[in-house]
Amino acid sequence: MAFVKAQKTKAYFKRFQVKFKRRREGKTDYRARIRLINQDKNKYNTPKYRFVVRFSNKDIVAQIISASITGDMVLAAAYSHELPQFGLEVGLTNYAAAYCTGLLLARRTLKKLEMDEEYEGNEEATGEDYSVEPAETRRPFRALLDVGLVRTTTGNRVFGALKGALDGGLDIPHSDKRFAGFSKDSKQLDAEVHRKYIYGGHVAAYMRTLMEDEPEKYQLHFSEYIKRGIEPDDMQELYKKVHAAIRADPTAKKSEKQPPKEHKRYNLRKMTYEERKAKLIERLQALNSAADDDEDDE
Amino acid sequence: MPAGHGLRSRTRDLFSRPFRKKGYIPLTVYLRTYKIGDYVDVKVNGAVHKGMPHKFYHGRTGRVWNVTKRAVGVEVNKQVGGRIIKKRIHVRVEHLQPSRCTEEFRLRKKKNDELKAQAKARGEVISTKRQPEGPKPGFMVEGAQLETVTPIPYDVVNDLKGGY
Repeated sequence: MAFVKAQKTKAYFKRFQVKFKRRREGKTDYRARIRLINQDKNKYNTPKYRFVVRFSNKDIVAQIISASITGDMVLAAAYSHELPQFGLEVGLTNYAAAYCTGLLLARRTLKKLEMDEEYEGNEEATGEDYSVEPAETRRPFRALLDVGLVRTTTGNRVFGALKGALDGGLDIPHSDKRFAGFSKDSKQLDAEVHRKYIYGGHVAAYMRTLMEDEPEKYQLHFSEYIKRGIEPDDMQELYKKVHAAIRADPTAKKSEKQPPKEHKRYNLRKMTYEERKAKLIERLQALNSAADDDEDDE
Repeated sequence: MPAGHGLRSRTRDLFSRPFRKKGYIPLTVYLRTYKIGDYVDVKVNGAVHKGMPHKFYHGRTGRVWNVTKRAVGVEVNKQVGGRIIKKRIHVRVEHLQPSRCTEEFRLRKKKNDELKAQAKARGEVISTKRQPEGPKPGFMVEGAQLETVTPIPYDVVNDLKGGY
């Protein structure tokens, strides 16, 4: 092997400062987190709630979280894998599903805090910019949008979830600049386009083009929709029903599954001292017997 | 050129962050709450430039007298000439730590209250005063062997052995 100068010397490791664990994992943006969590000192222990939206490949997580020294406390959570309970079984990570998840979370928190009668929010999703008006008795529930590490472009699904929460009745400071349908040239939100996105209109349009041009790809891509018999024209009705179901009963259902009594082990169990000694003795004996056999052969 | 006496003069090491602790500061600093009357230690964090106290106050402990949005007012003693003045400064929370100087006192207070309540229930009077450590009790030394040491008479020959 050629002589290679060691890149990472012992000195390098001695001086290396690790970043925070969640930064190493690439999951938390601490610069943003400091600014979201920092509460005015003259408000003492008043919690500052964040409306957290995170997307995975197959799921959407929306939570209301407040920070504390022992760890963040989740007030309420909504997942897009709960949407089948409300009648939506496919397309669980699109813009419309994000809207439904945000709406579900908003109704859930308001119900938990017994504010759901006062703050109905926007019943009919029109896509226009809607902000909650403060009612007589209590001020609206305020949360701050926590996007995470997502690039906030116009029409991003996190803003779909934000719209859902706003229409659900939460007070989240926002601007309409990043909603789907905002045009940079006219600097105005086109409510019609936004409404189309909320009801899955963009998905329906794609379905129609595929049906005409590439039927095989349509079969491949939208197989689950076809299995359930969802046509592009049914999408709006479907989402309207889901919104109504969410508003009717947003409470979370506990799953009936029991946690497994014995947990599956994902890594090898470490050997105890006795086990390691026993293994060493075994190895030495095997070696000795093999050596003896060789001697005998020779 | 003479050395200046600016605000942060002579603070090269005092305000520098410790080894391998540079960069973002842990968030518990921002989550702590301070109430008026609490004792706090002032410890400057060189990574945050706003709301830094003067280097004199680094390592001082004082009481909180004011709480604002991002900072806390601390009352610290400073000796000026022949007298001690109570100085009121405002310091951002990143440069503060809750002080443990009264922790022992508060724990003792709680314990004493419990002891007194128990004694009252039993109907006896106890004293919860702390006593200073007294002299150690007397003891016999174990395994002692007496060895008498006497001086040997001076011997000229032996001493001059080395040569003269």
